[in-house]
Amino acid sequence: MSAAGQVRLVARREITTRVRDKGFIISSLVIVLLVVGVMIFQLVAGGQGSTTTVGVVGGNPSVQTALQQAGEASGTAVTVTELPDEAAARQAVEDGDVDGAVLDPTGDSPQLLVESSGSVDDVVRSAVGALSVGAQLAAQGVDLQPAPNVAVTELDPSGDDDGPAVVVALVGVVVLYGLLILFGQFVAQGVVEEKSSRVVELLLSTMKPWQLLAGKILGLGVLGLAQMVLIAAVGVTGALALGVVSVPGQLIGTVLVVIGWFLVGYAFYASVFAAAASLVSRQEDLGSVLTPTTLLLVVGFFISIQAGSDPGSGLATVTSFVPGLTPLVMPVRMAAGDVPLWQVLLAVAIMAVAIALVVRIGGRVYAGALLRTGGKTKLREALRAERA
Amino acid sequence: MLEFDGLVKTYGDNQVLQGVSFAVAPGQMFGFCGSNGAGKTTTMRIAMGLARADAGEVRWRGAPLDDAGRQRIGYMPEERGLYPKMKVADQLTYFARLHGASSADADRAVAEWTERLGLADKRGERVEKLSLGNQQRVQLAAALVSGPEVLILDEPFSGLDPVGVDSLADALVERCRAGVPVVFSSHQLDLVERLCDAVGILARGRIVASGTVGELRAQEGGRQLRVVVPDADPGWAAAVPGVRVVSEQRGDTVLELDVAADDQAVLAAALRTGRVTHFARREPSLVELFRGAVAA
Repeated sequence: MSAAGQVRLVARREITTRVRDKGFIISSLVIVLLVVGVMIFQLVAGGQGSTTTVGVVGGNPSVQTALQQAGEASGTAVTVTELPDEAAARQAVEDGDVDGAVLDPTGDSPQLLVESSGSVDDVVRSAVGALSVGAQLAAQGVDLQPAPNVAVTELDPSGDDDGPAVVVALVGVVVLYGLLILFGQFVAQGVVEEKSSRVVELLLSTMKPWQLLAGKILGLGVLGLAQMVLIAAVGVTGALALGVVSVPGQLIGTVLVVIGWFLVGYAFYASVFAAAASLVSRQEDLGSVLTPTTLLLVVGFFISIQAGSDPGSGLATVTSFVPGLTPLVMPVRMAAGDVPLWQVLLAVAIMAVAIALVVRIGGRVYAGALLRTGGKTKLREALRAERA
Repeated sequence: MLEFDGLVKTYGDNQVLQGVSFAVAPGQMFGFCGSNGAGKTTTMRIAMGLARADAGEVRWRGAPLDDAGRQRIGYMPEERGLYPKMKVADQLTYFARLHGASSADADRAVAEWTERLGLADKRGERVEKLSLGNQQRVQLAAALVSGPEVLILDEPFSGLDPVGVDSLADALVERCRAGVPVVFSSHQLDLVERLCDAVGILARGRIVASGTVGELRAQEGGRQLRVVVPDADPGWAAAVPGVRVVSEQRGDTVLELDVAADDQAVLAAALRTGRVTHFARREPSLVELFRGAVAA
C-alpha cells in the first residue's frame, strides 16, 4: 500500500465514522435549520408583512378606502371590519380582534377606541382628515381629479448597495467560525482518542505520523467543506426564494469567498489543534492545550463583527493580515467592497506561509508527542523527541 | 530469515539494549523471554519502527526493514490498543487495508479470523462493549487479518483464558507451518517450552542464551538426577564425589552431577540406604534454565 493510499484510507475512516455518528448528523441538521430559521425571522421582522385591523362603526363605504390608503402611506396593510355599535367595538378592542375601532368616522366628533396609543392612531387620523377634506371640497362643488403618478427613474440601477453583501459575509463568518471550532475539535478529539486508546502504536507500525495526520485533517476537511457548501446552498436558495436578498450574483460571490476562506482557515487551525492535542493523553486535558488557539478564533470573530459595522477601520485592516485572524476578518472587508486586489493576495500569501510553518512545526510536535503517553508532554520535549 | 543484529538502545543513562542479536527462520516459532524491564518490548518496537535503535538493525530477507517491509508484519503491541467506538469487523477491515490488503481480501480475512478466534457473533459490536478477553482476541485478529509474512507479538497470551490460549496457539502453529517466522514474548515459560522451536533469553541488555530448549539444556552442562529413597537419612548422597544436592525432601532428592561424577556410584549409594523407588535423569524445565541464565 502506497503512502498516499494509506492517507486515503485514514481520511475515509474519519468520514465514515463521523457520518455514521448520530450526534454529528443531528448537529448538522440543527445548523441548517438555524440558517433557514434566521432567514424566516428576517422576512417576518422585515416590516413588509405588518398589518393593522381597524373596526368601524357607522360612516359610509368610502371610510374603508380612506383607511387603506392611509395605511399604505405609512407602510401597513389595513383590514377593515364593520362593527354594529359602540359596545361591540369596545369588546372587539378588548379581545384584541381589532387594533382600534373608529366611532362615527364621518361625523363631527369621531372617536377612536384603542387598548393603548400606537401606529393605528396616525392611520385613523389621516384617514378621517382626508375624508373630511374630501367631504368639504365636495360640498363646495369641487370636482376632484386623481393625483398624477410619480415616474421613478433609476440613475444607476446596477449600483452596489454593500449593506446586504456585508450582512451575508457576516452570516458566512458566523458559520465559518462555528465550523472551524467544530471541526478543529473533531481533529483534536480524534488525535487524543488514538493516543488514549493506544491504538496509535498499531497505526504507526504501518505508517508515518505525517500520513496519519494528513489523512485525519483531509478527511475531516472534506466533511467540513461539504457541510459548509450544504449550508451555503440552503442559505442561498432560501435567501433568493424568500426574497431576503435581491442581487443573486453578489450573494453567490460573497458566499464563495467565505467558503474559500473557510478552507484556508481550516488548514491553519486543524494543524494547530492536532499538534496541541497530541501533547495530552486524555480528553479531559484537551481544554487546557486548545484554549490559546480557541481564543485566537474568538478574537478574530469579534473583530469581524466589529468590521461589519466599520469595514474601513484600522483594526479591521491590520488584523485582516494577521495569520489566523485573516479568514474571519477579510471576507467581511471584501464584502464591503473596498479591498484592493493586492491586499487580498498579500493576505492569502501570508496565510499560506503561516500554514506551511504550522504544518511543519505542528507535524514535528505531533510526531514527537504521539508515542509519549501518560501525562502532558511539554512542547519543547515533543520537538526534541526522537521521531520514529 | 528475520534477523535482529546488534541492537543498542539507551534511554538517558539506562542502556537497555547492549547489542541484541538473534535470528528467526521462516517457519520457526521463537520464544522471547526475559525478566520485566529486560528490553523485550524495546526490541520489538525497534523492529516495528516505533523506536529508533542507536546502533544495529533489523533485517527481513536480507534487507533492512523499512515502512514497506513493516506493512507485511503482523504486530501486537504490549500496550493493547483499538478504536473503542469502532465495530469489530470495521476495525479489522481497516487494519487489513492499512497493511495493503485489497477490499475483498480484507473482508474474507476478517470473516475467517473472527470465526477462528471465536468472535463470529461479535463482528457488529463496538470494541468497548466486549469483555477484556474478547478485546484481546480482536487485538490478535488485528495482527493476523492482513496475512502477514512475519508475526511479532508482545505478550500475546497474557490475559487469555485457557480456551483462548489454545485457539491462539493453534493459529500461531498453523501460521508457522505455512512458513511464517513467529516471534513472541511471554512470561508463561511452560507455554514457550511447549510451542517454540527456539528460545532466546534476554538479560542485562543481551541475549544470554538462545537455541532450542534441548540445546539450552546441553549448554547448561551439569546433569541432574532425581532419586527417591523413602528410607534414607537426610544427606545420604553428600558423600558421593562430584555430587551436589540441589534439593531433598523426605527422600525425594535432586542431585547435580559434575562432568566427572559417576551416576552408578550414586545408584550404589542409594541402594545402600534401602529401597529405591525412582532413579532417573532429570531434564531441567525452561523455568530453571531461565533462572540459571538470568542469574549467571
